[in-house]
Amino acid sequence: MSQLILHDYEMDEDSYRVRLLMSFLGVTAERVAVDMFPGHVHDSPAFRRLSPLGLMPVLEIHGTPLAGSAAILATLAACQDETRQWLPTEPALHGDVMSWLTFSERALAAARQARLCALFALAGDTARMEAEARSAFRVLEDRMTLNRIEGRDWIVGTQPTIADLALFPSFALSRDYGIDHNDYPALRLWLRRLRRLPGFITMPGIPDYH
Amino acid sequence: MSRLATQWLPVALSADIEPSTSAGLHVEGHELVVWRDASGNAHVWEDRCPHRGMRLSFGFVRGDHIACLYHGWQYDAAGQCRHIPAHPQLDVPQTIRVPRLAAREAAGLIWATEQDSLTFPPAAETVAAEPVQTLAINTPVDRLADALSKAGWVGDGTFGRLDVEGLRLIVGLHPANDGKALMHVLVEAGMAGPRARIEAARFAQALRDRIEAGVAIPGEAA
Ligand code: FES
Repeated sequence: MSQLILHDYEMDEDSYRVRLLMSFLGVTAERVAVDMFPGHVHDSPAFRRLSPLGLMPVLEIHGTPLAGSAAILATLAACQDETRQWLPTEPALHGDVMSWLTFSERALAAARQARLCALFALAGDTARMEAEARSAFRVLEDRMTLNRIEGRDWIVGTQPTIADLALFPSFALSRDYGIDHNDYPALRLWLRRLRRLPGFITMPGIPDYH
Repeated sequence: MSRLATQWLPVALSADIEPSTSAGLHVEGHELVVWRDASGNAHVWEDRCPHRGMRLSFGFVRGDHIACLYHGWQYDAAGQCRHIPAHPQLDVPQTIRVPRLAAREAAGLIWATEQDSLTFPPAAETVAAEPVQTLAINTPVDRLADALSKAGWVGDGTFGRLDVEGLRLIVGLHPANDGKALMHVLVEAGMAGPRARIEAARFAQALRDRIEAGVAIPGEAA
């Protein structure tokens, strides 16, 4: 994959998921900024030709567009990581990673939306979104607690994978929409470990590890 | 008046506050920061930077100082401001100080109170325990204490022992904000292999879910 073009938006957490994996893998791409807010360019007919559902971000690989963070994370991890640390080939671990990608898409959808509502004054039932975000965080907190007792610092297996990258930004950014981290000690420690990984990069709302 | 004025409260699992980290904490209207310096001492303070009110829990720990995220003012373990980056030569006035609570560690927990002079709960002095989980529960702390007591929790309403399913749990509670409670669960040392801690975590998670759903908890008298 020589020719990569990433269509992304600085404040979009899914764009950040992809930028972060690229940084960990040392992969670079030409970047095209998509004005999601206030421009709504991801809803435009031209962008929909790249991303039929308007999913962000889009990675063009030799001219072929791949839309949404889950597909991009899995593809980059499969093609650009010879160690296969980020997407293990061992079936049980692979399956577990993929199911957490689904969790990210489904259970954290409300968390993503709550943040957009807070930052860009979108309409929506924010109380319901926050409640859904909290229940998703609780599932993650319980899981990370059990993992930690078993001596495992990451969501799947003993190393960071794209499951961690698919999940943690929604939690890390939760203060953008009024959910503090007080109730989630295991997630807080997990976030700290992630921020200390070599190659970690920030986005607005996710500071560097000091 | 908050319970912090009248008793020692367990506010976090010691293991959850790693050296050189900080965390926010709500106790009945108080916003607190709990942080551990690089040499391992735990501190519980008001979570408010004297400069412009930024939460210190958002800040970062440098050695035995905590620094505010906003403009980098640094406070020593006594809460005294020691360094103002915008005025590095300034001898910082003694009056710039963060209000502190008394803090200590026992039974695998960090405890705090506003009243230094209060006697520390003797039951907590002698227990050795391994951490399991802190759980946020959407129920008032008194209702939680009541449910736990009916399930066999032997304690003083804040800290005690609960024998269940072959496990000896150590459970500490503190009231948070908005009618929430935090339940800190540990297992007594000696049965603290990973298996026992996993079982204890699963038990505690199920207990939380039942209490929130208003369902009787295991062992609770009808
Ligand atoms: S608000 Fe803390 S340093 Fe300015």
